[in-house]
Amino acid sequence: MTKREVTFRQDLVDKDIILSVRHLKQFFKTGIGANKFITKAVHDISFDIKKGEVFGLVGESGCGKTTTGRSLIRLYDVTSGSVYFKGYRINGGTRWNEKEIKWKTIKAKREIADLKKIMQEEINSNRSERQEVNDEVIAKITESYNAKIKAVEDNLAKLVAEQKEIIAQIKYDTRHVDKKIMSKMQMIFQDPSDSLDPRMTVEDIIQEGLVIQGFRNRAENSKKVVEVLEKVGLIADYASRYPHEFSGGQRQRIGIARALVMNPELLICDEPISALDVSIRAQVINLLNDLKDELGLTILFIAHDLSVVKYFCDKIAVMYFGEIVEMASSEELFKHPLHPYTKSLLSAIPKPDPISEKNRKRITYNPVKDHDYSEQTPVLREIRPDHFVLANDKEIVKYEAEIKLLDKESK
Amino acid sequence: MPDKNKQVVLSVEDLAISFHTDKGRVKAVRGVSFDLYKGEVLCIVGESGSGKSVTAKTIMGILPGNGRIEAGHIHYEGEDLTKVSEEEFHRIRGKKIGMIFQDPLSSLNPIMKVGKQITEAMIINNDKLKKMYLDLISVEQARYNNEVSLRNQTIEQANLDIKLGKKSFVKDKLAIQKRKDISAEEKRELIAKEERKLHQLIEASKQRIIDIKDQTKDNIVLYKQQFKDRVKVAKAEVKAYHEKIKKDRDDKLHTLKLKLAADPSQKDLINKEIKQVKLDYINLTKITRLEAKKRALKVMEEVGIPQPARRFKQYPFEFSGGMRQRIVIAIALTQDPDILICDEPTTALDVTIQAQILELIQRLTVERNLTVMFITHDLGVVANMADRVAVMYAGKIVEIGTSHDIFYDPRHPYTWALLSSIPDVDSNERLEAIPGTPPNMIYPPKGDAFAPRSKYAMAVDYKEEPPMFKISDTHYAATWLLDKRAPKATMPKIVSERIKNSLKKAGELND
Repeated sequence: MTKREVTFRQDLVDKDIILSVRHLKQFFKTGIGANKFITKAVHDISFDIKKGEVFGLVGESGCGKTTTGRSLIRLYDVTSGSVYFKGYRINGGTRWNEKEIKWKTIKAKREIADLKKIMQEEINSNRSERQEVNDEVIAKITESYNAKIKAVEDNLAKLVAEQKEIIAQIKYDTRHVDKKIMSKMQMIFQDPSDSLDPRMTVEDIIQEGLVIQGFRNRAENSKKVVEVLEKVGLIADYASRYPHEFSGGQRQRIGIARALVMNPELLICDEPISALDVSIRAQVINLLNDLKDELGLTILFIAHDLSVVKYFCDKIAVMYFGEIVEMASSEELFKHPLHPYTKSLLSAIPKPDPISEKNRKRITYNPVKDHDYSEQTPVLREIRPDHFVLANDKEIVKYEAEIKLLDKESK
Repeated sequence: MPDKNKQVVLSVEDLAISFHTDKGRVKAVRGVSFDLYKGEVLCIVGESGSGKSVTAKTIMGILPGNGRIEAGHIHYEGEDLTKVSEEEFHRIRGKKIGMIFQDPLSSLNPIMKVGKQITEAMIINNDKLKKMYLDLISVEQARYNNEVSLRNQTIEQANLDIKLGKKSFVKDKLAIQKRKDISAEEKRELIAKEERKLHQLIEASKQRIIDIKDQTKDNIVLYKQQFKDRVKVAKAEVKAYHEKIKKDRDDKLHTLKLKLAADPSQKDLINKEIKQVKLDYINLTKITRLEAKKRALKVMEEVGIPQPARRFKQYPFEFSGGMRQRIVIAIALTQDPDILICDEPTTALDVTIQAQILELIQRLTVERNLTVMFITHDLGVVANMADRVAVMYAGKIVEIGTSHDIFYDPRHPYTWALLSSIPDVDSNERLEAIPGTPPNMIYPPKGDAFAPRSKYAMAVDYKEEPPMFKISDTHYAATWLLDKRAPKATMPKIVSERIKNSLKKAGELND
């Protein structure tokens, strides 16, 4: 057997895609026995993030946006699907492939049983009185059916072997992820006071990642820490202090510094400003904006505040109950919101403008009422270049008409 | 819009509150004054630590143990809430002024069914006769208590003045004795002068005590007598009422019993009637569990909880965040308050849920004619809810006006900064963040507290506190920029453009 290598997809690198998520599923099992329950936190999402892009993930709490972020950076083992970072598969799950083997086997068995049944029927109907003729006919029929059965079995064996190979590959990939690559992906957490160890000094917190990566030279690390502290707008003296001595905004800056010291290419920001005060929020947004331009960062921005996302992101994906319901560039999404959930989300943003607030009409979203998926289940489709929406055939027609109407109105 | 006929429900006057901590005295609120008009929604905006929640808590009388009201009054229905004792506050808290807190999960008891939590207050205050009695005596009681507290406060203040005067005299004496540039004779003279001053002060203070005692003596005696008389009358009244309903019940029962004796065949029917009569009597004197439940279900329906009968028996963890907040609102509403204080009720909620809760509060305000004090730091929410807005910074109101004034004609640099620091859906301009952090309130800055973070700060801002400048009948702002001598300052471009845009849009809407 040849030595395995980690899956590397050149096509993604060629297209400048830094992070690619394919059919990601993240389930959580809770309870045992009769109480066993599977929470489908993220259910089959796919998206690509290009280099230098700011990708926003919005949705209400419990829709799986934070889970997605944490799965990407390998804080969870993915249930199914793959995550490619810089072309390399860094995380993958095998549930789908296992299920595929299971269902295909059952299907094949059923097919074989059916074939055998038909064969018996044919034999019965062709039964004649003469024994020799009978034997001959039976042999002929059996042979033809055996060939068919063999074909099915072969097919199944091939498929199982294929899937088993894929499973083995995924398992190998997830076990042999290059730490050097992973350190290029960093995360900023929501609560700046909970995500910093209260018993470590700022310097220790920031250089912890470096030490783990094998940079053991303290003097050099300190230099890097000071550099990165200055980059996020703090002064070098702060390095020897403890997190509790800082205000919320400063703590969030420390969190950002901790991520930046690893020289990341992709930054996952999990609601970095939700826990901050109004006046501090703008500071952190501006800082992230500056760093993005200065360091050429790619950012995955997870938030529920749509006005911030609109301001900060190039592309927005709206999530609802573990699925992406709409994905487009931020301009396009705000201009042509199509999915009813997006509309309801947009209509709920309170604006600092009393007159328009008094006239604002909130749209409520009721998934049972708004969609009729009894005939056809929806899939994420491209309705316009780079504008995806979760819909079935009927809805696509409706949405297309809507876009035309909106365009007309804006003119 | 300005309306002089508006009735002031609650008025806060020069309120100052400080907290004693290990590090020193945190001056959380430093002289806040505002009026709350009937039926309006007053929003208080500011960052955390600006003292907005502390103000609300003081109005509710739930200041933490280390908090102290340094000065000021809160007038509500002829009473000063800062002087009301804890026992007395039970009359007001919840029943007259209700409050909704930020985190619905931590304000609900996790191991108690929500139904019980909603009915709890009703069942605790279930004595209808007692309530009737308290209502009857409330006016006289408040008048008497106010008069007594006025006298006590003045006496206390005078005594404090004497104490402080003595202290400073000792200090001055020492200082004089230590001086080397003057002779002993002169020293003696100076000390004698100081002593005379002290005597004067003591005399004046003592005179003040005597005066106030004289002044209030008649009133106190009069009010006390009135109060006592009123108590007698009220007690008699309540007793008479009680006797009457008791007699009614007994009469009815008597006739029913006679009926039963005469016609034993209708036993079941008459027994039922007897039961009903007894129940009616109980309902007149008490709020029973059954009645409380009925009322709770009604309120739950009112706040938009589907299937209230089923939800009544569930625990808080079985509810989503928005539903929990509805339960909290329902609890506040069961007591029929006049004023509702909402302390960041939507900060912990999602955008869509937030919109629902805001709509609910707005609807209740109209339906129940509530007066709402709404505390938040989200200007979008303010624009949605407010009739009037007060912007707070470092324990002070820096600008107050109608929502139209604040959003379309802001005058204070802090209001400008707040408006320019929130991203707008319509533009992608760089945000103007407010530099620095809020001041440490143990050592509140001299002069204008916002000056160190403001680019419009002038020299005077660091020396002297700006007074409230009047811009219009409804609009006031505390900034030296409004002084006649100040250079002309214009608001940041990002804000002015936004205002222009939204007014333009509004113009289109009106056409």
